[in-house]
Amino acid sequence: MKIEIKNLCKKFDNNIVLKDISLTIEKNKSTIILGQSGCGKSVLIKTLYQLFNFDSGTILYDGRNYVDIDKFSMLFQYGALFDSLKISENIAFTDFINNKSNFDKKVLSLMSDVGLDKSTYGKYPSEISGGMKKRVGLARALYKNPKVIFLDEPTTGLDPINSDKINELILKVISKRKITAVSITHDIKSAIKTGDNYYFIHNGVIQDKGDCKKILKTKNKIFKKFITGARY
Amino acid sequence: MKFIESIGEVPIKFFSNLGKFILFILFFFKYLFKPKFYFKKNLTYFVNIFISSIPIISLTGIFSGMVLALQSYTGFSRFSAESAIPNIVVLTLTRELGPVLTGLMISARVGSSIAAEIATMRVTEQIDALKTLNTNYYNYLVTPRVLSLTLALPVFVTLVDFIGVMGGYLVSIHRLGFNDNLYLLNTIEFLNLADYLSGIYKAISFGFIISIVSCYCGLFSDKGAFGVGSATTNAVVISSILILSSNYFLTELFF
Repeated sequence: MKIEIKNLCKKFDNNIVLKDISLTIEKNKSTIILGQSGCGKSVLIKTLYQLFNFDSGTILYDGRNYVDIDKFSMLFQYGALFDSLKISENIAFTDFINNKSNFDKKVLSLMSDVGLDKSTYGKYPSEISGGMKKRVGLARALYKNPKVIFLDEPTTGLDPINSDKINELILKVISKRKITAVSITHDIKSAIKTGDNYYFIHNGVIQDKGDCKKILKTKNKIFKKFITGARY
Repeated sequence: MKFIESIGEVPIKFFSNLGKFILFILFFFKYLFKPKFYFKKNLTYFVNIFISSIPIISLTGIFSGMVLALQSYTGFSRFSAESAIPNIVVLTLTRELGPVLTGLMISARVGSSIAAEIATMRVTEQIDALKTLNTNYYNYLVTPRVLSLTLALPVFVTLVDFIGVMGGYLVSIHRLGFNDNLYLLNTIEFLNLADYLSGIYKAISFGFIISIVSCYCGLFSDKGAFGVGSATTNAVVISSILILSSNYFLTELFF
């Protein structure tokens, strides 16, 4: 699915979070949204997901201004797993709450796809590690066979080894299932590894965009400072 | 200028929250009659609330009844009206103390836990996750809790009434030297169905108030640990105030 955003503005009370954002998310490509904390990245993807209304501008999903959100799914920053449900019930959430019982095979297959051991099937989220929670979150996101997957800081809070594993997993999943991916991250290494195109947002405005493989060659001063960790 | 702004902010915030709360209740009724009804979840919630609240409810009932019998004796013995104690105990418990004390205890025991649970879900993005999974949080979170508590409170009040009367009976027989058959006879003969039902109507109203306020405070909490804490406090304080104030108007209604 191709998503085109034109002149998008979003504010909360008097606080303008997104100012005149225009960008294109190409079909079956991995688009990375970069920016520092509080710049509006999460608001942008939640607006694209139709979880938030926007104040002005247009969002077109394959040329139409509305889409069934069943075609989308999201991996949240810290997994956002339901504490009171087992891992298997989290992954097959919609089937589980609708009292469908034949989800075991699909859940086990997804668990194997995301590298989760069978022993976690009956555990609760509090009994597994942060990296495993991300994997469960990814399995839950893939359960409904989405056309677009939104990844909210997929490697945040993970050590370098687990970050690499999650990045490889994301790459594998995107290429195997041929889905459009939109990730938000601070992590330049992850952006280069998993992305096709990037957009850099600063103070609610797109400051830079381009090919992820050429991120380090950017000429935008603010983005350069973001990459090197210098203060703005 | 800022001082005047800050004075104006208070009523604006109050009426804005009031409007939001009324809308929340209207949405609850709208989704109550929508086809997606998680029966298993409703039943599980009812059973959980029931089992976890029995001990606290029993203690509330027995001590209220015992104290009521003792205090009534202190007053009534001054003009030789001790025989009215069984009547006073049963009437006060069924019409007033049963529903109000149960409401306050349940607001502290269950209301706080509902608000804390939902606020934590909000802070950890579980509410957003529900939306992304195309699940209506009114159907999934609010309806089971409101229905369970609204239906559970009349059961609790009946239990408190019974245990309270038994508490009063124990104190009256063993401490104040009443005749046990006479005490029970006075209790049963004096109690009308209308007295019991007025307490039950109150219980239904209080159950609804506690659950809807707690769900609202949880769902619209601020972010972070502070948000969860203040959601819990607000849920208990607002429910308690609404229970005490609505109790007057309900009493007027059944007077």
